Amino acid sequence: MDFITIVFLVYSVLAFYFLFLYILIYFQNRKKVFYTPPITKKYSLSIVVPCYNEEKTIEKVIKNLLKAKYDNLKKIILVDDCSTDNSYKIMKKYAKKYPNKIIAVQTPKNTGKASGAKNYGAKFVNTELIGFTDADSYPQRDAINYMIGFFDDKKIGAVTANVLVQNRDKFILKLQSLEYKVIKFTRKLLEFIDSIYVTPGPLAIYRKSAFDNVKGFDEKNLAEDIEITWHLQYEGYKIKMAVPSRVYSVAPSTIKDWVKQRNRWNIGGLQCVNKYKKVFGKKGTLGNFIVPLFISQWIIGLFGLFILGYKIIRTIILKYLSVSYSVQTQTTILNMKDINFTVSVLVFFGLVVFLLSSFYTIFILLNVKEKQYKKENFFTLIFYMIFYLLAYPIILLISFIKYLKGDIKW
Amino acid sequence: MLNNKKRVFWEALLLTLLIFLIGMLIGVLSENSRMRSVEEYYIQSEISLIDILTLSNLANLDDANCDNLINSNINFANRIYDEAKLLEKYEQAGKINENIKIEHKKYDVMRTLLWINTMRFSEVCKNNKVHIIVYLYESNTKDLTKKATNTVWSKIINDLKERQGNEIILIPIAVDSDLISLNSVLENFNISSYPALIIDDKYVLEELSSVEEIEEFF
Repeated sequence: MDFITIVFLVYSVLAFYFLFLYILIYFQNRKKVFYTPPITKKYSLSIVVPCYNEEKTIEKVIKNLLKAKYDNLKKIILVDDCSTDNSYKIMKKYAKKYPNKIIAVQTPKNTGKASGAKNYGAKFVNTELIGFTDADSYPQRDAINYMIGFFDDKKIGAVTANVLVQNRDKFILKLQSLEYKVIKFTRKLLEFIDSIYVTPGPLAIYRKSAFDNVKGFDEKNLAEDIEITWHLQYEGYKIKMAVPSRVYSVAPSTIKDWVKQRNRWNIGGLQCVNKYKKVFGKKGTLGNFIVPLFISQWIIGLFGLFILGYKIIRTIILKYLSVSYSVQTQTTILNMKDINFTVSVLVFFGLVVFLLSSFYTIFILLNVKEKQYKKENFFTLIFYMIFYLLAYPIILLISFIKYLKGDIKW
Repeated sequence: MLNNKKRVFWEALLLTLLIFLIGMLIGVLSENSRMRSVEEYYIQSEISLIDILTLSNLANLDDANCDNLINSNINFANRIYDEAKLLEKYEQAGKINENIKIEHKKYDVMRTLLWINTMRFSEVCKNNKVHIIVYLYESNTKDLTKKATNTVWSKIINDLKERQGNEIILIPIAVDSDLISLNSVLENFNISSYPALIIDDKYVLEELSSVEEIEEFF
C-alpha cells in the first residue's frame, strides 16, 4: 500500500469518525436540540454594542434591541471606538431619546479591535448578566428570552445564539448562509459533550461574575470570542447554545473581506491553541477535545493541502507533457480507452464520506427553517460541498504564514 | 451524565471501525476477484504459449507449419496485449492487494518467451512477412517525463496496431521486472534509456516517433 493510499484511508477514517460522532450525538439528544429552559427568574441584563464605523447598520441594531421582548434588559451600552463616520452621532441621538435605557460612550482612543471596545463597555455594566452584540448584527425580538433560562444552572458561564446571515443577495453570501447553518447546528451538538468552543460576537450573554472572573476579553487575541469561551471552560464554566435564539449578522460580501475574516478567525484560533496548549490531554473537554480538535484541524488541513497540491501539480505536469508529446508525434491526445472506469476501494470510501456529509448537510438545512428566506438551491449546495469547503485549507495556510510572520492585526 | 458523554466517543469509534473494516473487506474481495479473473486469463494464455512453443520445436518447419506458427503467434500476441491492458487497469485500481504485481511479472515472462520464440521463427521461416515490434518500458517509474513518454508510446503502438492489424506482432514488456531472461536478450541491443521500441530485432528507437516514422522501417 503506498503512502498516498494510507493518507487517504486515514483521512477517510477521521471523516467517518466525526460524522458518526455528530450523528450519534444528534440521535441521543434529538429531543433537546431545540429546547430552551423557560424563564423562572428574570436576571438583570445589559447589552454592550461595540462599534467602529458602522453608521449604515448601527441604527437598525439599536432599534432591534429596543424592541427586545425581554423586559429586564436594563441598559444598552453603545461603545464607539473613535469612529470616523457618523456612528457616534447616531448613538448619542438614541442615548438622548432613551436616557434611562441607552448609554453612548466613546473609548478614550481607538483600540483597534472589538475586544477593546467590549471591555471598555463592560465597565459600565452592573447587572447579573452581560450580553454583547455586534454593530452589524440584528437579534430577533425574542432572541434574548430563549437564552435566559439556561442561567438557572449556576455552572453556566455563557449562552450563545444561532447566528444566521442577514444579507443573501450575492452568491458568496448564499454560501456563507449555508455554512453558518451547518456550523451552528454542529455547535449545538457539541454542547451535549460540553465542547462549545466559541461564543460568537453577533450575540452572546455571559454571567457577569464569570465574565469578571476571566477578566473579560483578551485584547491580544484576534478572535476574542473563541478565547473567552476557552477561558470560561478552563475555569470550569459550561457553555450553552439556544438554537431558537436567532441573530442575523451581516456577512462579508466580497472574497477579499471573506478571506480577511477567515484569516482573523484562524489566527485567533492559533493564538488560543498557543495560550491553552498547557491543558492538552488534561482539564476536561477543553484539554481532551477542544484543543486537540483545533490542533488536528490545522494538521489535517495543512497536510491534506500539501498532499492534494502535490498530486494536482504532478497530474498537471504529466498531462501537459503527454499532450505536448502527443502533438509532436501527431497522436490522439485523448482516447476513450485511456479512461479507466475500474474503481478502487478509495473511490468507495470517498463516495461514502461524500454521501454521508451531504445527508448531514441536507438534514441540517431541512431542520433550520426560516420563513422569510427561500431554501438553498441544489447548485449552491453542490458548490458548497465541493468547492467552498476546499478553500478552507488554503485559507489555513495563508493564516499560518501570517501567524508565523507575526502579522497579527484586525 | 459524564459517562454518557464519554460513551458517545467510543460508540463513534466503534461505528467508524466497523464501516472502515466493511469497506476494506469490500476492497479486498473486489481486488481478489479481479486477481482471480486475471489468473484465469493467464492460465489460458499459458496453455496457448506452451502449444506454440511445442509447434515451434518441431524438427522440420515447412511452409504450412510456418504459417500456422506465425498466425498462432499473432493471435497469441493480440490476446495477451488485450489482457495486459486489462491488467494495467486493475493494477491502477488496486490499492490494497499488491499480488497483482506478481501477475504483471508473470505476463512479462510470458512475453519475453514469446519474443524469443518470434526471433527463432523469423530465422527459420524465411517467408515471414510479419513485423515484430517490441515495446520496452519501465512500469514503476516516478519520473514524470518517462511516465508521459510511456503514455504517448502506448497510444502510438496502439494506433500502429490498428493500422497494421495482423501485419505486426506487438509485444510490450516491462524492463523493471528484474527478469534474467529478458536482461540477457537486452544485452544484444545497446539501449541506453527506456522506453524504447525495437523493430524486427534490428532497429532501436529511443526517441518518440510517429506511426508513419515507424512504418518507414517496414
